[in-house]
Amino acid sequence: MSPVSQGAPPETPRDPASTAETEESLWWLASAPLAWVLHLLATYLTAANYCAKAAEDASLTGVRLAIAGYTAVALLALVLLARRGWRRHRAGESLGPHDFDTRADRHRFLGFTLFLLSGAAILGVAFAALPAVFMETCR
Amino acid sequence: MSDEREPRRREADDVEPLAEAPSKEVREAQEERLRATWKTPEGWRYWSAVNNSEVGLWYTSLCLIFLFFGGVLALVMRIQLAQPGSDFVTADQFDQLFTMHGSVMMFLFAVPVFEAFSIMVLPEMLGARDLPFPRLSAFGFWCFAIGGVFFCGSIFFDMGPRGGWFMYPPLTTDYLGGYGPDIWLLGLSFIEVASIAAAVELLVGILKTRPPGMRINLIPLYAWYILVVAVMILFAFPPLIAGDVLLEMERLLDWPFFDPARGGDPLLWQHLFWIFGHPEVYIVFLPSVALVAIMVPTFAKTPMVGYSWVVLAALGTGFLSFGLWVHHMFTTGLPGISLGIFSAASESIAVPTGVQIFCFIATLMVGKKAELRVPLLFVLGGFSTFVIGGLTGVMVALVPFDMQAHDTYFVVGHLHSVLIGGTIFPIVGAVYYFFPLVGGKQLSEKLGRLAFWLMFIGFNITFVPMHLTGLLGMPRRVFTYPEELGLGTLNLVSTVGSFVLASGFLVFAIDVLRRKKNQPYSERNPWGAGTIEWSAPMPDEAWGIRSIPEIDSRYPLWDQPNFVRDIDEGRFYLPDAEEELRETLVTSPIDAKPVQCLRVAGPTFKTHLAALGVGGVFIFTTFHWYWPALASGVFGLVMILNWLWTGTAPIPEKKEKHVGLGLTLPLYVSGPGAVGWWAMMITMLADLVAFMALVFGYFFYWTANDTWPPTDAEDLGLLWPLGGLGLGLLAWTATAMARRFNRADRPGLFYPALALGALAALASGVVLLWAPWRVGMDPTRHAYPAMVWLLLIWCAIHLAVGVIMQGYCFARRAAKRMDAEHDADIVNVTLYWHFVALTLLVTVAAVAGFPKVS
Amino acid sequence: MRNRALTIAPLLFAGCEGVQSALAPAGRDAERIANLFWAMVVGGGVVWLIVMAVAVYGARAKHEHSEKLAGRFILWGGVVFPTVTITALLIGGLALLPPTLDLGPDEPRLAVVGEQFWWRARYRQGDQWVEVANELHLPTGRRTAMTLESPDVIHAFWVPSLGGKVDTIPGRTNHIAYEPTRAGTYRGACTEYCGQAHALMAFHVVAEEPAAFETWLAHQAEPATEPTDAEATRGAALFLEHGCGACHAVRGTEAAGVIGPDLTHVGSRAHLGGVLPNDTASLVRFIREPEAIKPDVRMPAFTTLSDAETAAIAHYLEGLR
Repeated sequence: MSPVSQGAPPETPRDPASTAETEESLWWLASAPLAWVLHLLATYLTAANYCAKAAEDASLTGVRLAIAGYTAVALLALVLLARRGWRRHRAGESLGPHDFDTRADRHRFLGFTLFLLSGAAILGVAFAALPAVFMETCR
Repeated sequence: MSDEREPRRREADDVEPLAEAPSKEVREAQEERLRATWKTPEGWRYWSAVNNSEVGLWYTSLCLIFLFFGGVLALVMRIQLAQPGSDFVTADQFDQLFTMHGSVMMFLFAVPVFEAFSIMVLPEMLGARDLPFPRLSAFGFWCFAIGGVFFCGSIFFDMGPRGGWFMYPPLTTDYLGGYGPDIWLLGLSFIEVASIAAAVELLVGILKTRPPGMRINLIPLYAWYILVVAVMILFAFPPLIAGDVLLEMERLLDWPFFDPARGGDPLLWQHLFWIFGHPEVYIVFLPSVALVAIMVPTFAKTPMVGYSWVVLAALGTGFLSFGLWVHHMFTTGLPGISLGIFSAASESIAVPTGVQIFCFIATLMVGKKAELRVPLLFVLGGFSTFVIGGLTGVMVALVPFDMQAHDTYFVVGHLHSVLIGGTIFPIVGAVYYFFPLVGGKQLSEKLGRLAFWLMFIGFNITFVPMHLTGLLGMPRRVFTYPEELGLGTLNLVSTVGSFVLASGFLVFAIDVLRRKKNQPYSERNPWGAGTIEWSAPMPDEAWGIRSIPEIDSRYPLWDQPNFVRDIDEGRFYLPDAEEELRETLVTSPIDAKPVQCLRVAGPTFKTHLAALGVGGVFIFTTFHWYWPALASGVFGLVMILNWLWTGTAPIPEKKEKHVGLGLTLPLYVSGPGAVGWWAMMITMLADLVAFMALVFGYFFYWTANDTWPPTDAEDLGLLWPLGGLGLGLLAWTATAMARRFNRADRPGLFYPALALGALAALASGVVLLWAPWRVGMDPTRHAYPAMVWLLLIWCAIHLAVGVIMQGYCFARRAAKRMDAEHDADIVNVTLYWHFVALTLLVTVAAVAGFPKVS
Repeated sequence: MRNRALTIAPLLFAGCEGVQSALAPAGRDAERIANLFWAMVVGGGVVWLIVMAVAVYGARAKHEHSEKLAGRFILWGGVVFPTVTITALLIGGLALLPPTLDLGPDEPRLAVVGEQFWWRARYRQGDQWVEVANELHLPTGRRTAMTLESPDVIHAFWVPSLGGKVDTIPGRTNHIAYEPTRAGTYRGACTEYCGQAHALMAFHVVAEEPAAFETWLAHQAEPATEPTDAEATRGAALFLEHGCGACHAVRGTEAAGVIGPDLTHVGSRAHLGGVLPNDTASLVRFIREPEAIKPDVRMPAFTTLSDAETAAIAHYLEGLR
């Protein structure tokens, strides 16, 4: 158990402005889930709506193309978010568990969490797109 | 803990506790004042307490009582099923039993217990004196108590609901007479409202009442989970409430939302129910993981390894759980592509769920050899059981396998592994862990071990065989089964196991309830934990925390030197209650910078009366006693207004106050910095979700029907709906202007603007309802007119509530309880009106615009 | 070949046999699902053992492990491993979806209707529909598609020995297909809670060689046999006299009700109401106290009939083979 080291140098964030509380937003954490939910809804609603109106054995080609499109867009957005998160995670020199009482560590923590969330969302998006590979009709 | 960890770092300007403790006399005087301020009422007035430790304790205890009640119901069912062809209970009684068992466990135990428990301990974990809205917690509790007792009582009058906890129409609309389904729909809706109230409270509590310095990367993991779960409640419960409204309207007024002969569709209910129902599983499960996340580091004597990963797991399961609902509907004949999408989504959630288990194991590995004390036993037993449930969950998420397993005892085995292993074992462990915080005494290690082994062994004997029972052909919700299926032995084993399990709970109950008068108080921080709640003395004082600390670490008791001494000696913030008013700190959501010294409300009976009034509306409506319901509603409204009028946002006697350590904070804040603003924002988000669920219904009918609107539907035209919308938007604008005029201190413009707003709102409501009335739309004829009416009524009700709020602001200013500087009321009311404007826009676009383009 | 591999699975658990067991498959779909199940049980069991072993070791191990090692453990054990295995499992599961949902090459010739608390089935025979109740026959070696409907509440149609289940939902027409591989009689059940007698909404499926199936169907299409003895004749008269024909049909007689089960060949069924052996005693009980057999059933109790009259009706019905 190490005491709060009075001797440890106070940390100077790389760019104080970028880590000010007012610059940070919890909404970034919502962005990855949002991308996932939009993709899931678009995928599901496109398929369900089409099949509700079409015949049972109607071909899904159009729907599958649409799903491929949604998936490409969602994955691109999520990779960009993950990159943003990763960069924040790597900001400055500390790579520890981000558990210091500093603006910089809070900044890195939020970055790392965004990175991980984007990863979870990428998994979710990729999974949701998989059925379109296997299903050819509305059955 | 380990020596190679870097020294703790802080900002250069970080605040230090007072170097010198105040003199003994000063401290004693402070303590005297704090004690007087936070004193728990005595005698019969005890029940007027609103403090989180009292309300939380009642709430938790009541939830545990409901757990035992639900358990007894299950035992009766197990006796009936012990052998084939038994007639211990009738089919009708059995139907009531399983309906009550599921509903009680879900709505009266699993969801509220985490809210209850969080109300009790969260402020301690956050070093806060209380939650921001103690009276809201109390109101929620009394609603819960009234609704819960009403609901449970029904079975003793043979009036219990019989539709299953999922209440599928048309069975529940057209085939079950009596009051049972109404008791379910209205009784539980009432409780769901209380759940949402608690979620609002907890969310605001976590975001706004953390101790200074507890930045978002330092929040106790428990709080992260509760934050996620509270948000989930806001998105999951409103669709169910919307569904309840539709179902009850069909039962009471014959509006055919689920009648396929009149354009309705029974599947809409299933969508709404499971959009709630699946996240619900995680709403129930995540708080228990949160308990594990707080107990594991204590026993491993090391900080959580992979804190960020655990946060990811909480957030990740939270959002992914909203994409799984259709896996409860794999056998409803949906197209294969839809099944596949939700099968995939269901599998994806296994990954974040697994990550947290691995984080816990990793923490145990990093830590020293852990002592196998009772809480840890329950944690490990929970792992074992939950992992079985997780793996069978992965199995049933595959559509082909689910087509066999669905609605059989395999699923009964699966869900109880998740809910007992994942939820109840950690809760019992947590009761053992946290018990000293409540009365200052430890529970018995011996009885705890006995309870654990009985529960663990009993659980496995009961539920592991059920997987096989199901695949050998036993469907769910059967009151009997024939001998020829060969299921007698397996069922008998399950029944025996259930009594072993129950005896474990009995031992647990005995341990909790036994007299502990002669037992010494526990030592302080008996487990050697690192989180703030364990700074409490044994027994604890009613003030919550002696002084509110400055936080530098995730485990301040381990990392911050002299932390407990500094709290005790009042070297941190708010060591005193000079004005003898209950105070706590409000901080910013990300970095927990102090922004306000918040005065919270004290004991009252107003919340009880308000809960009685609101409860009366639901209970009287169940029995179709509409006049008493109306009277009760008016009474409830008056009580709520009275409570708000006297208790919220009072203008303080001075602008700011010195809270210690050289910090001076305002006593009054309005707008996004204020807790009230957040509460309104969050409540209205939940309201918006319920509304969106209704709009979803409107468009769902469009896909389910060949033509929507039906060809013979009356046309609302554009004039009246657009006129109503215009008036509504005028009311909104006028309210927003009134806020400005108030801030500019121009009463001459403020009052007329507000009056104009109220008139426009009333006119808007009348015009919107006139539109369908004018063309003679009959809501009982078809789901389309029913849906149009419902959306417009929804708007009208919101407009009416908006008018009450406008009147409230009008009166507040007139009574000098609101002025240019102290304008929280009108600011929050304006926020409400933003949501009303959005609701009106979407409604008019759907009911008047969509028919023109479809 | 295929069958040999499949018989191994049930051997693993001797208790899996049964008339309503998903683990004693007698149809293509049930076989596929049982194989999937056993594979998952083995895989899941291994995963469970490993996780629990590591957990207990972590809690009880004497020495501490470095955070670095723990981090790798989380990454590989908690992220990579589940992602890979779950993805593989999902791909396997999705690949099984099209054959599971496949309705076979033929148009459905069988319409199944779930009603409180029995099953109506109509076969298309040429251009006419032949109605039976609570006992279906299916040809082996052929995929038979069925439509599933309900006029009242939601039920679910399930014959675990043959395959999965699908709900019957008012206002919708669902489909399911079974492909029996082994002749025999299999029990089916309603799996969606549908009211008091939900537990008793059972039925039977007889899987038989296609030729035997066609013979059966041709027989079911014929009108009822005439009563052959005096008591049966009296029973037939009483049947009509007491209004049984308002709900039940006996083709070839005046009884043409459509509310309850078609009784034209009721004597040919092995079970009565899906839950009782089809004999005189059961028939008498059903007439006397249907509520005691299936609570909340729609059929009224004919308590005013004398014992002799009831016996005569039962005798008549028994003869309707």
